[in-house]
Amino acid sequence: MPADSNIAHVATEQSTPAPQTLGASASPAATPGAAPGAELEHLAHLYREMLLIRRIEEESARAYAEGKIGGFLHLYIGQEAVGVGSIAALRPDDYVITTYRDHGIALAKGMSPRALMAELFGKATGCSHGLGGSMHMFDKEHHMLGGYGIVGGHIPLAAGVAFASKYRGDGRVTLCLFGEGAVSIGGFHEGLSLAALWKLPIVFICENNEYSMGTPLSRSMSVEDVSLKALGYGMDRDRFFADDVLEVEQRIGEAVKRAREQSLPTLVEVRTYRFRGHSMSDPAKYRTQAELEEHKKRDPLHRARALLVEKGYGEPRLDGIEKSVEAEVADAIKFADESPEPTLADLEPTTYKGPFAY
Amino acid sequence: MAKILDMPKLSPTMEEGVLSAWHKKEGDEIAVDDLLAEVETDKATMEFRAFDKGTLLKLLVQAGANVKLGQPVAIVGAPGEDVSALAAQAGAAVASAPHEKQAPATGAPQTPSAPSAAKAPPPATQPQARAAESQPTPAGRVETLAPPAQRRPPVVNVLERTSYAGEAPAGNGHDGGRVLASPYVRKVAREMGIDLQGAQGSGPGGRVVPADLEAMRGRTPAAPLARIAPGAETLAPAAARAAVPAAEEAEVRPLSPMRKTIARRLTESKQTVPHFYLSIDVDASQLVRLREQINGELASSGDGKAANGTGDAAPLKVSVNDLLIKACAVALVHVPECNASFTPEAILLHRRVDVSVAVAIPDGLVTPVVRRADQKSVVAIAREVRELAARARARKLKPEEMSDGTFSISNLGMFGIDEFAAVINPPEGAILAVGQVRDVPVVQDGKVVPGKRLAMTLSCDHRVVDGAVGAAFLAELRRLIEHPLRVLTG
Amino acid sequence: MATMRFREALREAMIEEMERDERVFLMGEEVGHYQGAYKVSEGMLEKFGPKRVIDTPIAEGGFAGIGVGAAMVGLRPIVEFMTWNFSAVAFDQILNNAAKVRQMSGGQFDCPIVFRGPNASARQVGSQHSHAMEHFYATVPGLKVVAPAFPGDAKGLLKAAVRDDNPVLVMESETMYALKGEVPDGEHVVELGKAQIVRHGTDVTLAAYSRATHVALDAAAALEKEGISAEVVDLRSLRPLDENTLVASVERTHRMVVVHEGWPYGGVGAEVADRVQRLAFDALDAPILRVATLDVPMPYSSKLEQACMPQPDRVVAAVKRLLVRGRA
Repeated sequence: MPADSNIAHVATEQSTPAPQTLGASASPAATPGAAPGAELEHLAHLYREMLLIRRIEEESARAYAEGKIGGFLHLYIGQEAVGVGSIAALRPDDYVITTYRDHGIALAKGMSPRALMAELFGKATGCSHGLGGSMHMFDKEHHMLGGYGIVGGHIPLAAGVAFASKYRGDGRVTLCLFGEGAVSIGGFHEGLSLAALWKLPIVFICENNEYSMGTPLSRSMSVEDVSLKALGYGMDRDRFFADDVLEVEQRIGEAVKRAREQSLPTLVEVRTYRFRGHSMSDPAKYRTQAELEEHKKRDPLHRARALLVEKGYGEPRLDGIEKSVEAEVADAIKFADESPEPTLADLEPTTYKGPFAY
Repeated sequence: MAKILDMPKLSPTMEEGVLSAWHKKEGDEIAVDDLLAEVETDKATMEFRAFDKGTLLKLLVQAGANVKLGQPVAIVGAPGEDVSALAAQAGAAVASAPHEKQAPATGAPQTPSAPSAAKAPPPATQPQARAAESQPTPAGRVETLAPPAQRRPPVVNVLERTSYAGEAPAGNGHDGGRVLASPYVRKVAREMGIDLQGAQGSGPGGRVVPADLEAMRGRTPAAPLARIAPGAETLAPAAARAAVPAAEEAEVRPLSPMRKTIARRLTESKQTVPHFYLSIDVDASQLVRLREQINGELASSGDGKAANGTGDAAPLKVSVNDLLIKACAVALVHVPECNASFTPEAILLHRRVDVSVAVAIPDGLVTPVVRRADQKSVVAIAREVRELAARARARKLKPEEMSDGTFSISNLGMFGIDEFAAVINPPEGAILAVGQVRDVPVVQDGKVVPGKRLAMTLSCDHRVVDGAVGAAFLAELRRLIEHPLRVLTG
Repeated sequence: MATMRFREALREAMIEEMERDERVFLMGEEVGHYQGAYKVSEGMLEKFGPKRVIDTPIAEGGFAGIGVGAAMVGLRPIVEFMTWNFSAVAFDQILNNAAKVRQMSGGQFDCPIVFRGPNASARQVGSQHSHAMEHFYATVPGLKVVAPAFPGDAKGLLKAAVRDDNPVLVMESETMYALKGEVPDGEHVVELGKAQIVRHGTDVTLAAYSRATHVALDAAAALEKEGISAEVVDLRSLRPLDENTLVASVERTHRMVVVHEGWPYGGVGAEVADRVQRLAFDALDAPILRVATLDVPMPYSSKLEQACMPQPDRVVAAVKRLLVRGRA
């Protein structure tokens, strides 16, 4: 592969094409200048976030089986490190936009578990008043811009959000997440093409969980390395495994910095894995139990926990975190159970701003 | 604390499934997300994984069992816990669950079964006639498109296709008695208090157009029902009648379609046709004798049986009425002004003589038409009337057999009626009402002798048949009846 | 009052709105350096600079989506499609994003975007470049659709569209860009959702919009020579649709012919017919007829194209078919 000046300034490796380099994950980089205690607290914070997502997703699956959630439900279980780590690299007023696998992202961006669960249950207290559902998690206050059902359709939107930031000069960065399945569709290419052309402050994160629904990488992509597509657009790129939430934070952080300081986009391919099927109707027969078990051994949640134990965070405090997460999850479910449903009266005012146009 | 595990919803459309294999057995420790069982659903084989941890204390269904959503399948709890109460409770729940396959709710796909027997019939093959009409081109190739005249490109026409009276090839605008009027016209008519029933307007096909409404002011709602026979009850106008009586006061008989038609047509007749009546009392002795002769001939020749239109064993007999039908027909040929109809634009003098014959049937009356009665023999008329009457009573007459007559005859002689006046069937110009042949004393050559008399009343539409015309018709009729051989000779 | 061409009226509207509100910008193919494919945005790049008048590559899905994303976070984009035919490749962004973010977010996010461009036939440009796209969009709740027929309305409706907080689609016509008309001075904003009677009459209502309004007016002039008095209602707004003006007109005339470009199956004309028959059934003395583009892809041949389009003679014939049933 020819040396490419566009990626020369990316701090971490990647100018060689060999995927073997992916195996070596960097040790969790400390935030420069931070005291070790602060680091540990930070990791504990990230662990809690991931655990909250994990437990919310598991309970959503149970609620779905109980008939409280209907339609589509795409779970983030196994991918928590990507969302949590990426958003940890952002400022609170930065924007995030993602696909229908959005519960974990919404929570990491600051949506309350109550608002999320109530939305899943279709209640009026949900973030979208029960009108959006699992695939459409929006939170204006926390700059979470959704939740979209059309693969790749949100990528131009993300470019537009970044465009607005540049237009205004507000210094914000936009994170746009999508799966590797979106890399074949027009919206991906047009979004990246325009972001590179107009030098938009955006980080495109491809959460490559190796399967687009039931289709593995080998059958869906002529070039398995998604990050290589950045070269076609003259865009910076990065590529790594997301086993370690701190590494995610650090590497995404570099792309965020590039966006914020230089107004340049980056395409980052993060290799991850989902422990459940594509959605609730997917028995995931396209992978073997052995493959799943292998990946479970690399569960970023367990990895973070083990690291905390190793670094002396202490089981009692971990236990405390776990209990507080359970309480928060139980509270969210109870809240959602007890909340009222939306009514027909909610439909008109949420279709048009101002008088309904017919 | 032990709890029952129910069959969960493993996919959005799942209603039930077959628990094909247990992956844990009673006594096993289970952790969250452990694979408990495989469940075959309509879509795929799903994994039933544990949401809770504990000890699997009891399996409530066997591998291979069909399980419905929500049905208890296992009990989980602490090791050694007594679960007999729970098991009993679960057993009751299982027993009460219906075992037959329920119809899936909306959205659940049907289990693919054998192709249903009711398949749509294969599409009709295109008529080959067009292709056959090929014209060899100079090169000798066959033109496979139909000639342009037969190809009707829809695109030019699609928004121009409409269907309303005045454009389509016509009826007489009557459309079975329905008044043609647009919503707007009906609304204005209501506001003006105009009853459009039976109305004819100046638009195409008799459509009532807004310009007609001013002239229709004062047109009132339904008048009393016309007399069909004297002594029949007259019903008061609907408005004046009291509310539907209580059950003990009157039997309420809903109107059949035939009664509605009778009501509508005869009301329309009496409302719009200016009736007047001419009566004569003819000497029927010759007619009666002719009838006897004819029937004697028919019986002895054996033709009666074969000629019998009804197909039953009774021999054909010609009736007085059959002879009268023929007589009327012949009279109409001689007095064509009586074989006419009124229209707003013109009087139509019919070239054909189609005689409508009133036939009483259970609950009502119909008028099958004997076509070209002037050209048929009496025997043919008799046969036809017999057959029509039989089919009328069996309600098997076709609409075209009951319409488009030019003159009507109604005979109540068989009911013992001496004389009566009938209601004209529009658009015919007249109707002859016939009573029974009466044995009465008559004066002949200065002496009183027994005679036979027959009373007949001609109801005429004064717009088209004047008194003189009606009188001329009746005079001719009398002549034919009293010298009935002229019926045969025409 | 000034006389100007349709394209100049649109340009004035955009310039005024961009001067008034710095959140407004124009984006599309050839809108800047090329001075606009149809010269609608002539001079605007020089006036506002490349930050606010943005030339795009050929990527309608991409830049339509960028417009929607920018609108979600508070900008007010005007996105031009070189012709509305090309919006087909951006249909996902318009249907699934622009029209729906408000509801998907439970009202948290709006999409105050304007999509505009020339629409429907354009003289022998063939089937792929002649679609009347308003029929596909007017049916979508969440969108608004307008279609001016005169320069004054072009300016007024485009200004109103920019100021509206919902996605508004402005359907122009290449064949009308040179049309001259009067435009009022000053702040001229035409409220969305209001039709206008551009010719009064008593025997029949001709409901039309955009180019077809002129066809209807020509038909009305021809009918007048035969003693038939036609009222022409210029819809101006397709969604919201001014049913009140239509109903009031039919209550006076008792007859309606709807004239528009675009195919017969469904669409705006069918919607108009439904509204009127539902809301003014008792006023109708005749069925409602529609005169539309013939039900085929638009052919290239000049004569055939003219034959396929709604023309005054077809409108006159339709009116006469209604009147043969009698007049009020």
